[in-house]
Amino acid sequence: MIYFLQTLVGGLGMGAVYALVAMGFSIVYRTMGLVNFAHADVVMIGAFLAATLFVTMHLPFAVAITLAVLLTAVIGLGMERVLRPLESKDLNLMLIGTIGFGIMLQSVAIVIWGSFGIAVPTPIPNVPIDVGGVIVTTYQLLVLAVSGIVMLLLYLFLDRTKLGTAMQAAAMDRSAATAMGVNVSTSNAIAFAIGSAIAAVAGALVGPLLYVNPTLGVYVGIKGFAAAILGGFGSIPGAIVGGLIFGLIEAFAAGPLSAYSELLTFVVFALAMMVRQTGIFGERTVDRA
Amino acid sequence: MIRIGFGKPLLVTLLLLLPVVLDSYTVHVAILIMLFAIVAVGLSLVMGFGGQVNLAQAAFFGTGAYVSALLSTTYGWNPWLAAPAAVLATCVVALAVAVPALRVQSHYLGIVSLGLAVAFSSLLSNSDLTGGASGISKIPPLVFPGLDLSGGRDYYYLVAIALILVVGFALFVANTTLGRRFKAMRDDVLAAAASGIEIRYYRLMAFLLAGLVGGVAGVLYAHNARYVSPDTFGLGVMFLLLAMVIIGGQDSIWGAVVGAVLLITARNLLTGVQTYQQLVYGGLIVATVVFAPRGLAGAASDLRRRFDLPWPSIATPWKARAVSPAPTRLKVVRPSPEGVALRVASVSKRFKGLQALDGVSLEASAGEIHGVIGPNGSGKTTLFNVISGIYRPSGGRVFVWGRDVTGERSFRMSRLGVARTFQNLRLFRQLTVLENVMVALDRDPAHAHIRYLIAPWIVVRNEAERRGRALRLLKDFDLHEVADELAVNLSYGRQRRLEIARALAAEPTILLLDEPAAGLNAAEQEGLKAMIRNIRDAGVTVIVIEHNMNLVMNVCERLTVFGHGKVIAAGTPREVAANPVVIEAYLGQDAPEAQAAL
Repeated sequence: MIYFLQTLVGGLGMGAVYALVAMGFSIVYRTMGLVNFAHADVVMIGAFLAATLFVTMHLPFAVAITLAVLLTAVIGLGMERVLRPLESKDLNLMLIGTIGFGIMLQSVAIVIWGSFGIAVPTPIPNVPIDVGGVIVTTYQLLVLAVSGIVMLLLYLFLDRTKLGTAMQAAAMDRSAATAMGVNVSTSNAIAFAIGSAIAAVAGALVGPLLYVNPTLGVYVGIKGFAAAILGGFGSIPGAIVGGLIFGLIEAFAAGPLSAYSELLTFVVFALAMMVRQTGIFGERTVDRA
Repeated sequence: MIRIGFGKPLLVTLLLLLPVVLDSYTVHVAILIMLFAIVAVGLSLVMGFGGQVNLAQAAFFGTGAYVSALLSTTYGWNPWLAAPAAVLATCVVALAVAVPALRVQSHYLGIVSLGLAVAFSSLLSNSDLTGGASGISKIPPLVFPGLDLSGGRDYYYLVAIALILVVGFALFVANTTLGRRFKAMRDDVLAAAASGIEIRYYRLMAFLLAGLVGGVAGVLYAHNARYVSPDTFGLGVMFLLLAMVIIGGQDSIWGAVVGAVLLITARNLLTGVQTYQQLVYGGLIVATVVFAPRGLAGAASDLRRRFDLPWPSIATPWKARAVSPAPTRLKVVRPSPEGVALRVASVSKRFKGLQALDGVSLEASAGEIHGVIGPNGSGKTTLFNVISGIYRPSGGRVFVWGRDVTGERSFRMSRLGVARTFQNLRLFRQLTVLENVMVALDRDPAHAHIRYLIAPWIVVRNEAERRGRALRLLKDFDLHEVADELAVNLSYGRQRRLEIARALAAEPTILLLDEPAAGLNAAEQEGLKAMIRNIRDAGVTVIVIEHNMNLVMNVCERLTVFGHGKVIAAGTPREVAANPVVIEAYLGQDAPEAQAAL
């Protein structure tokens, strides 16, 4: 029982990170219907930026995160600008374009930081706290708290502000939103910027948990992406639940089956997708004839 | 009908003469280029033609290599036995990856296949069986008496022959019925199903071909390099393959080959600056999708069109030729000349809270032109979707020529003789006009594709025969002059006509037309009236949804009137026009005036 609870708690930290990554995917998908395959690599870039600012330049962790967030938001804006001609034209082409960006970001990271990576110490003293036999570390609590705050802010932005509502309108019907005075291109650009910014938060938080290296995106990003889909693409609660599920599957698979943990995770995911394509919180849409 | 021309023999000759002038290092690079070309051709088939976002192609390549390596080392098999077994294993893996594609598409499929590819890499690096990160070494070479197949010039010829066979086969597939069906399902999955294509089967088939080809390349790679490690089949290689196919041109076999030549050559020229390579091909992918979405092959074919050059024909393989004169009447066989063609018995359809159809019944006699009218949102198109198998009804039954076809899937309905058009045009946009018609005209069942392996000449013969029939049909519809134009480039009126031509190419006994007059000008509407009558005179029962009262009143023999998902009236146009319920519900308050208009 203790083992179970300990694994559960262990999975929550990574689960929160996956949930953040998933939310970044979701906001771009929700506003422009695009799946940003480069998102995984934006997470990695965010992790490197935060790590460099924090470890090498000795800036306070909060400042490092903020700067990393701003820089990745600019990257997001840049990607959206380049791919804008394809918007609302060809989803598959645009998807491949974002894969191209992902490849570029990865090699940029190798050029700047080399292929070995950076080990990041925890920004606060990592004290283990004993809760009824289950060990929770302070850094895990920090990760959960920061993720929770970002999620809440995003939710408030989308549902309670005029801009957020306008962005969702643009996603539902591009031409109708344009007719109502929403500038769809601006809306898309903002979505990309926010998505990338959240990616940087996820990257910065995951740094001390893992080792920051150029292939970080492959492991954290793809699972975050899969989490977004599992939860129901475009749904914010779905992203959170999907992220936590992935964190937990991974934690439970890691012990006895570590060699097969990735295989197990993605096979479970593939099966889940087949059972319910729209994910847990997704809505079934009808392909109209 | 498949043009050989002089280009292909020339290329083959060059390919076979090349090692004479190359040094051994260059021969080695050339082998690598050819292997990647083979894998890329597989990706082009599944993704460019089949429209399946498959990000596991590198894993197929890896499966072939690893299985052959394992069998011939750990298990001590003869390499010549291990090789086909490995190809077979790759096909099985490809089919397993294809299973999710039956349910999910586009980005969902992208992430599922990418996830499985990541899982594959992780398995290779972590499992003891595959030697972990250090891989498998001392793989025995393929031995053949009199030949030195341990990696030099002789191996070059082995790989070259494999490349020629794979490209030849892929071109054959791409330019005949199977490739056309792939492209049709890529361009519009609903219209493809309504044209009789069993989508699930073709998705599996596309993956199977990609796996087959990837497995062949993997085996050849393993016994050439004599060493395999996880890096060779990881995501980096997957993205390299993707770059080849995108830059070369997704729906072109030649494009994939050219992409492989360019990128592997570039990779070898840039070995010193490996990190910048990725930057370059990532950038090239982005630039290609933004500026030249159809890649080099697309650019080449655009140039060819602009300057009207006869060669090389890269992206549009078929060129129209004159066909022998033949009777141009439509031939349709009616199962029974009398009786009820279509009977809809109290069909209901519910979407969550919305009752779209509520106990709808309708009967169309053989050889009748039956109109379905009613305000927007009254359930007319939903009824067509139920009849044509796109929706499964929540209640009630559908009978075609007395046979209960309730809940049959779309492609089955097409094969049972029900064809349809769509309200918002659903043509195969990137197929030519001729190909659009040939897709529907081709009634081969899915299992007939075994002919590609056992009797390819029958495929060729059928192709020629269907082409002739398609051109005659296009002539009937006055579309023969644009037979080689892409459907997306036609004027609106011609697109509408093409959709009807495509529906008739399936030789239906019942034709469902969904607002065929929408957007047509007066002259085109007159043409449409005559066309509908001709279709009926050829023996087809026509059910038509239409808002255009002139057309409905003049052409239809019987009408069914819809209101809020129910049938509110039925009868001859005259009866319906006089029915006060219809006047009230459909024409609104200005009844006398509206009646006068009728």
